[in-house]
Amino acid sequence: MSSASDLPILDFDRISFSYAKNGAFIKDLSFSIGEGEFIGLLGANGSGKSTILKLGGGILKPSAGRLMLWGKSLQTFRNRDRAKLISYMPQSLDVTVPFTVRELVDMGLYPYDIRPAMTTGEALDMVGLRGRADGRLADLSSGEQRRTFIAMTLLQGAGLLLLDEPLANLDIRYQIELVLLLRRLKEERNISIVMALHDINVALQLEKVMLIKSGEILGIGAPEEVLTEERIRQAFGIKVRIIRQQGENAYVSYKNSF
Amino acid sequence: MKTKLVVIILVPLVVFGLSLVLGPKIINPFAMDETSREILFSVRAPRSIVALLMGMALGASGAVLQGILRNPLADPYILGISSGASLSAAIGIIMGLTFLGSFTIPVLAFAGAIFTGSLVGVMGWKRGGLWPERLLLAGVGLSFLFSALLMLIMSVSSDEGLRRATLWIFGDLSMSDWSRIPFGLIFVLGGMLLSMARAKALNALILGDELAHSLGFTPHVERFFLFVSVGLMTSASVSLGGMIGFIGLLVPHMIRFFAGSDSRALIPASAFMGGALLCVADLVSRSILPPMELPAGVVTAIIGSPYFLYLLRRRNVLSV
Repeated sequence: MSSASDLPILDFDRISFSYAKNGAFIKDLSFSIGEGEFIGLLGANGSGKSTILKLGGGILKPSAGRLMLWGKSLQTFRNRDRAKLISYMPQSLDVTVPFTVRELVDMGLYPYDIRPAMTTGEALDMVGLRGRADGRLADLSSGEQRRTFIAMTLLQGAGLLLLDEPLANLDIRYQIELVLLLRRLKEERNISIVMALHDINVALQLEKVMLIKSGEILGIGAPEEVLTEERIRQAFGIKVRIIRQQGENAYVSYKNSF
Repeated sequence: MKTKLVVIILVPLVVFGLSLVLGPKIINPFAMDETSREILFSVRAPRSIVALLMGMALGASGAVLQGILRNPLADPYILGISSGASLSAAIGIIMGLTFLGSFTIPVLAFAGAIFTGSLVGVMGWKRGGLWPERLLLAGVGLSFLFSALLMLIMSVSSDEGLRRATLWIFGDLSMSDWSRIPFGLIFVLGGMLLSMARAKALNALILGDELAHSLGFTPHVERFFLFVSVGLMTSASVSLGGMIGFIGLLVPHMIRFFAGSDSRALIPASAFMGGALLCVADLVSRSILPPMELPAGVVTAIIGSPYFLYLLRRRNVLSV
């Protein structure tokens, strides 16, 4: 199912970027996101996860290199046209906004003149919130609030979701629900997802991860290959132990660092 | 929703009609003598239209401004536009300037408003765009400066000039005549059409710049257009009849309670309700103790505040 097409959806080709004048924060970064891929993006705070996602979403402009969306330079897309293909969701969402669930989800239609095939009801069904359509966003639980924003991106119709730490502030049940929802979107709608996250144990459940440090890729590929004890030590500066049991996924013990 | 729409359109119409026939002298529109006709067409009609326009401008700009500043306590006057207008108008009144006849003071006020609005825009501009916090702080800062200058001028001015300037600052609709209406209409409607054309962008901006960008908007460009629309409406309103409090701040909150927060409905509904409220306030202010007139701004707040507080008790209305 993954990488059905040879052409990547989004291709980072030797991308550099700097916030200040002194030196590049990200230098010569290259990787690509294939159709239907679900990639977990890991790295310490300040390692460049958000920057990479914002570059991919066109919010930040690279100082060098080429960013190609479906084989065409991302910068040549009009904002509205890009919005139909990529949806970026920041880490902190303002959930005190006065909108109802339906009003918020419907904003996904803004890039369109003609209403696309999916209805608001269908988008809400996908995230399990149809019954809450007329409730105010502020009255929902944190997990439901996240899912409301996901429903908005579904209506937006983008084939690539760039999610900046969507699991932050969610308890373990909401985290699992959200990851399962994203996995379902990938499988049923062939949506590609790049999700920044911190929990290594959650990352081990994904099919592909990318580990970064100071804007450079330490590893990209299957989690068991990338998230080794040695690489985790490099990326986060802590000692961990990876415990593997037969027939079960590995999990990371932080015991050695406490 | 349809009922609400009818109410929102009907209320201002009914209020406008009432403001024409009611007053110290009640006019029967079906049996008018010469005096009644004169009062209706030369005094009340232009005055009520001015009240309607000012209220519409304030209601709509309040709704827009609370959105772009993402601050529920923002009102059109927070940007200092009214202080700038008041300062230049007061200078004109106190110095007795008449170089443009009856247009002198409105034109001075409009120039002061546009000048201040542009200044706030320049100060709120950094790295290729307008930033909400900068706009807000620049507006508050300039407001203080201009208010202080205004006080300074008023404290050294003669009694008559002082009285007239004070009246003007607190909202004086008694000078309304037909000649000002076309100009008011152009700027108020122009600003309103501009803001309504960008209403979707305003909704997206309320979610934050990054999500607005993700939804296909360019936040700085959208904020600029919306800021210009507020500048036009507020400037027109202040130059038509001075400062009227309450409407810009609280009418949008009332409407959110009533018609939701989608800016596409909120902007026009706040405009209609703002217009209706100022029309009522003006009717009350000239009817209650004739021939004396109470300042319309004072009456607006006295009518509006209890209703607003009642809404606040019933439901949490204070969010953008």
